[in-house]
Amino acid sequence: MATQHSRAAARFMIAPSVILLLAWMLIPLGMTLWFSFLRYNLLMPGANPFVGFENYAYFLSDPTFITSLINTLLLVGGVLIITVVGGIGLAVLLDQPMWGTGIVRIMVISPFFVMPTVSALVWKNMFMNPVNGLFAYVAEVLGVPAFDFLTQAPLASIIGIVSWQWLPFATLILLTAMQSLDSEQLEAAEMDGASALSRFWYIKLPHLARAITVVVLIQTIFLLSIFAEILVTTNGGPGVASTNLTYLVYAESLLRFDVGTGSAGGVVAIILANIVAIFLMRMIGKNLDA
Amino acid sequence: MARAVSNRRMAINTGVAWVLAILIFFPILWTILTSFKTEATAIADPPVFLAFDWTLENYETVQERSNYFRHFMNSVVISVGSTLIGLLIAIPAAWAMAFVPGRQTKNVLMWMLSTKMLPPVGVLVPLYLIFRDYGLLDTRIGLVIVLTLINLPIIVWMLYTYFREIPVDILEAARMDGAGLSSEVLYILTPMAVPGIASTLLLNIILAWNEAFWTLNLTAANAAPLTAFIASYSSPEGLFYAKLSAASTMAIAPILVMGWFSQRQLVRGLTFGAVK
Repeated sequence: MATQHSRAAARFMIAPSVILLLAWMLIPLGMTLWFSFLRYNLLMPGANPFVGFENYAYFLSDPTFITSLINTLLLVGGVLIITVVGGIGLAVLLDQPMWGTGIVRIMVISPFFVMPTVSALVWKNMFMNPVNGLFAYVAEVLGVPAFDFLTQAPLASIIGIVSWQWLPFATLILLTAMQSLDSEQLEAAEMDGASALSRFWYIKLPHLARAITVVVLIQTIFLLSIFAEILVTTNGGPGVASTNLTYLVYAESLLRFDVGTGSAGGVVAIILANIVAIFLMRMIGKNLDA
Repeated sequence: MARAVSNRRMAINTGVAWVLAILIFFPILWTILTSFKTEATAIADPPVFLAFDWTLENYETVQERSNYFRHFMNSVVISVGSTLIGLLIAIPAAWAMAFVPGRQTKNVLMWMLSTKMLPPVGVLVPLYLIFRDYGLLDTRIGLVIVLTLINLPIIVWMLYTYFREIPVDILEAARMDGAGLSSEVLYILTPMAVPGIASTLLLNIILAWNEAFWTLNLTAANAAPLTAFIASYSSPEGLFYAKLSAASTMAIAPILVMGWFSQRQLVRGLTFGAVK
C-alpha cells in the first residue's frame, strides 16, 4: 500500500533520528579510537605523537586492569545472581492472590526509581556507617562488633547497594512474564497432584526462561557501566578494591588526564559490552519478526 | 482465572509479601522519616522511628545553604527538555517505521538499539573534550543534547511498539473516505497515539532524571542536576543525616510518584518490547 510518494516521505521522517544517532556514534567513537593510538596527556600540552598500540600495551599490562576486570565481573555476576534469584522468588510470590497487591507492588518496585547517587549515599551513611548507621545499631543489639562495610568489604557492599536498585527491575519483568502464564495449565497440573515445587520447576520456571534471559542481558549492559555508586561510596577504593572497568577509565581520563590510555581503556570497555550486546540484539531481533 | 484459595493461604501470602515489601522499601521510608528529624534525633541510639518532634528545618537549611531549588530546576529542565526534543525527533521516525515499513526498517531499528549498547565510558574522553572546546561543560544545554541522544533509541523503540499496535485498517478506511495525510494524522492517528506517547514521555523523564554518568562527569556547580548535587554530599555533609535525607527525599519524591504510574510502560520500554 505504500506508494513511491509515501516511501520518500517516510525516509524524510526517519532521517533526523538516523543522522543524529549516526553522528552521536561515529564522531566520538572515531575520536576515542584515534586518541587511543596517541601519546596524549592533557597535563602535558604539545605534540601528541602516534604511538601505535603502546597505550593498549600499557593499559592491559597494568595490574589494576586485571583487578578492575575481575571486579567488574564480580559486580555484574553478584548483582545478577542476587536479582535474578530474588526476582524469581518475588515474582512467584507476588503472582499469588493476596490482600493489598497494589501497595505491595509499589513498595517492591520503588527502589528502581531512586537515583543512583541518593541510594548509594543513603546506604553508605545511614545504614553502613560503622558508628551511626542502622547496621551498627543492629550489631550492637546482637552484641557483635560493628562492621565497616565500605572499608572491609567495599565490593560486596556495592554489590548489595546495586542489587537493591535492580531487584525491582528483575521482579517487575519476571512478574509481567509470569502473568502471561496460562492458568489452566497450572490448574491441570494441580489436579493431577503435582506439588507446588514441581509446578514451579516444570511449568513456571521454563515459562520464565525467556524473560530471565532478557533480564540478564539488559542488566548486564547497565551493570557493566556502574559508576555513580562507586564514585560516591568508595571512589574505587580502598586502593583499587572496588574499581571496575568504567571507573578505571574515568580515573585514567578525568583524574589523571591521560587521554591516550583512557581511550584505549574505553575501546576495551566497548569490546566487552559488545560481546553481551550481540546476544541481546539477537533475542530482541527474533522478537521483532514474531 | 482467580483460583479459589483458602483464607489461610491468602493470609500467609499476604504476610510474607508485606514483610518482604516493607524490608525492600525500608531504606526509602527511613530516608523520608529522617528528613523530618533534627540532626541529633537522626543519629539517636536507639534509633527513633516515629515518636519524635517532626520538623521542616532541614528542608529550609538545605535550600538556604545550597540553593537547592536551582539544582531541582536543572533536573526539571534537563529531563523534560531532553524528553520533549527526543519526542519531536522520534515521533516522525517511529510513525514512518510503523506505518510505512520498508525493507530496511528492521535493520534501522536494530542499529538504533545497538547505539544504546555502547558503554558511555567508551566515549567519555572525546565528549569531555568536545564539551570543553565548545563551552558546553556545566551548561544545561550541553546535558540536554547528551541526554536527548542517549535516550533517543529508547524513545523511538517505545513509540514504535505502541504505533505498531494501531490497526492500519482504520487508516485505510479513512483514506478511502478521502482523508488526506494531514487529517489522517490529526484526527485518527493522534488520538490513538496519545497514550503511547504519554507513556514514553513518562518513562523517559524518569530515565533522564536519574541519569548519573554524564550528569556527574559534565557538570559542576552551575548546571548540576540533583544527581550531581546529591553526590556533593558524599563527604562530610553526608554525615548530617537529616539534611542528606531532606535533600534526597525532594530529589526522589516526584520521580517515585511518576514511577508508580508507569510500571507497565517500564517493562515495555526497558525490554524493547521483548517482554510485554
